[in-house]
Amino acid sequence: MFSAMDVSTSGLTAQRARLNTISGNLANISTIVNERGEQVPYQPRYVTLQVDEGVSTRGGGKGVRVASVEHSTAEPIVRYEPGHPLADERGMVAYPNIDMTNEFVDALEATRAYEANIGVMEISKDLGRQTLQIIA
Amino acid sequence: MFLNNSTLPVLEQVVAFTQSRHGVLAGNIANLNTPGYQSRDLSPEAFEASLGEALAARRASHSPGTAGVMGDWRIDGDPGLGLTRLDSQGAAHFGRLDTDDLAGVSDSMKEILYHDESDVSLEKQITEIAKNQGKHNLAIALMRTQYSQLRSAISENVT
Repeated sequence: MFSAMDVSTSGLTAQRARLNTISGNLANISTIVNERGEQVPYQPRYVTLQVDEGVSTRGGGKGVRVASVEHSTAEPIVRYEPGHPLADERGMVAYPNIDMTNEFVDALEATRAYEANIGVMEISKDLGRQTLQIIA
Repeated sequence: MFLNNSTLPVLEQVVAFTQSRHGVLAGNIANLNTPGYQSRDLSPEAFEASLGEALAARRASHSPGTAGVMGDWRIDGDPGLGLTRLDSQGAAHFGRLDTDDLAGVSDSMKEILYHDESDVSLEKQITEIAKNQGKHNLAIALMRTQYSQLRSAISENVT
């Protein structure tokens, strides 16, 4: 019962990490200067998940963990804005290649997965309670 | 005696442990945003190992009917020396007998373990609290059945 909760917790942690990167991507959807002040548009980050052998149940259920946070290799979107103070000699400004719809769908998926893990955890707790009622 | 041979003292230790641990875990939640805070925990494994040892010692020393008080002719000041163990053949064995094996169990709670974790994960802490609550409720439920048995015996009435 308790190991099932650990597996669910690993899912919760992983999905929260995913949501955090998505919120970072959306927050930086118009960021064209990086943290060192160089004119490099923000590269969206994506979390990759991996099976965690360290967290497992007796029934063979495996936990999950964040394998890495990958930077997107997509080319930035270049827009013609001649009046922009950071425009190049051709009047072009590079913006991050982030699709807001995509990010929102990802966020929704992560939220649903998070809720599903909470649901499983509630069931695990309920199983424990039911077992207790046999004794008491 | 009923209270010494029942599992009530064991359950009492379990409840005491889970309550202490709940306090520690609640502190972790409270300090979720405290810079440099390291999450604290009481080790259930250490507690269970200690409890297991105490139970083994108790079973060996005075399982029902094998221990008896042999009067005050033994050395004063140590209640353990006033006791004698009888083996299965009824022969008396002299020597110190631990009167309260469970006393050592609570020592496992005194040491708070510091885990050097860079982040206090809210989900992890909540899960630990839920698991701890499950253990606590189990011990309380078992205690309740024991007390209701005792009450049945006193009132000569099955409730």
